[in-house]
Amino acid sequence: MRRPFGLKLVIAVVVLLSAPHLAGQNASTFFRTNCYSCHTIGGGRVTGPDLKGVLDRKDRAWLTNFIRNPKAVIDSGDSYALELMKEARNVIMPTVPGLDAAMAIALLDLIEEEGRLEESNFMGLQLSDTPISDEDVFRGQLIFTGRSRLLNRGPACISCHSVSNTGLLGGGRIGPDLTRVYERLGGRKALATWLLSPSSATMGSVFRDQPLAQNEIPLIAAFLEFHAKNSLEQPAATGATYFLLLGFCGVSFGLGAIAFTWRRRISRSLKSSTIER
Amino acid sequence: MSGTTDGLDLIIFVALPAVAMVLAIVGFIHRYRNHDYSIVSPSSQFLEARRHFWALVPFHYGVLIALIIHLLAFLFPGLLLSWNANPFRLYLLETIALSAGLLTLTGLCTGLARRLTSVTFRRLTRGGDWLLLLLILIQVLTGVLVAIFHRWGSPWFAAAATPYLRSLLFLSPDLGFVAAAPLLIKIHIANAFILLAYLPYSKLVHAIVVPLFYLWRAPITYRWRTRR
Repeated sequence: MRRPFGLKLVIAVVVLLSAPHLAGQNASTFFRTNCYSCHTIGGGRVTGPDLKGVLDRKDRAWLTNFIRNPKAVIDSGDSYALELMKEARNVIMPTVPGLDAAMAIALLDLIEEEGRLEESNFMGLQLSDTPISDEDVFRGQLIFTGRSRLLNRGPACISCHSVSNTGLLGGGRIGPDLTRVYERLGGRKALATWLLSPSSATMGSVFRDQPLAQNEIPLIAAFLEFHAKNSLEQPAATGATYFLLLGFCGVSFGLGAIAFTWRRRISRSLKSSTIER
Repeated sequence: MSGTTDGLDLIIFVALPAVAMVLAIVGFIHRYRNHDYSIVSPSSQFLEARRHFWALVPFHYGVLIALIIHLLAFLFPGLLLSWNANPFRLYLLETIALSAGLLTLTGLCTGLARRLTSVTFRRLTRGGDWLLLLLILIQVLTGVLVAIFHRWGSPWFAAAATPYLRSLLFLSPDLGFVAAAPLLIKIHIANAFILLAYLPYSKLVHAIVVPLFYLWRAPITYRWRTRR
């Protein structure tokens, strides 16, 4: 009988695939993947505060508790947590999956260790405050639309994101609209640091092995800054309508081609009862 | 980012593909060893019956084009992303994909209408056939909706779905790529695995026979040799 064997095979494969990944991440990788998009160590404030010397500001017990569930501490009315939220322009730090007590302690050790270095490995991108140039915006647009292929071969921004009315049919809709992202994240430096280590689920995975290059980030940031400051409205939804119309044109063409190719398929000698079914 | 997934994601993206793959392999071996003459793509004389023609021809050409685009994004993701490097080319590829999806949907709806309105065909359609039609309808409908509302599908597939599917093949699923995907895409992926599992147990098995020459051969017409 083959059935029991098949059943055993199903169970074996499911167990094999569903087995949780037991190998723990080290603190440095965890920080880069989950924290770096909003925090530097010694690189200054971005969306969240600079973590250099954070252990001088608060004790380990409070910090361990806070980083494991920031919202709960804020909701409890803790005055320091409320102050942090205000400084972050009311952005609440998300609860990071997989951040257990052991990882919280390891992260605090890492922050302490990196904070002692003159230049930590998590300084963020140091961008100048000079006004953006037209050339930077133009080069940023080339990167955004994919005309300049990303150095590490990642997908172009337009694959998933829209900015104003960039592109005839607009940008992607699977990711958030980026017209106002410069304001949402709180300026050039926060935006650039976020791009250095994107922490959203999809971008985190897609750009993990093919990150944006350090010289591409300021250009993309310049393009997004330009649109945040110059676009009055959110992009119109005309892209979807045009796209759908093009789709209907395509179907009409396909049906027409089928009708033309087989125009002589029905021979006059056939009985009508054979055809009309 | 494997920590961001919940139980439902584990079922859809880990357990389901594993079960589907095993069911497909076991089912195909069983069918091949015991009923190998049923692994065929028989002619249903479709080119001569008007409604059948407008169901099967658009459906199959649409499905083939859509499947080829999916397969290209899976086998050559870098090439697809390079093609998409010019927005015009991206729009062209997406339009072709959407048109193929709509063509498939047109054929499928015609076929469904034919089966539902004709008493003879309804009687000839078995439970398994209805199930297969339902699964295919869900697949095509979600595919078209994803193409329209979650643009752009082709670079997303190349950049996110391909590494996820490859991680499955290497038996170390990385759900980070797909865990945050919109619901429609999750349904589309889950249903694809169900279709894969059902393939050897249904008449969909004809797909692996790859009857490519059907695409250009002259239509076959059956005629009675004697007057009845």
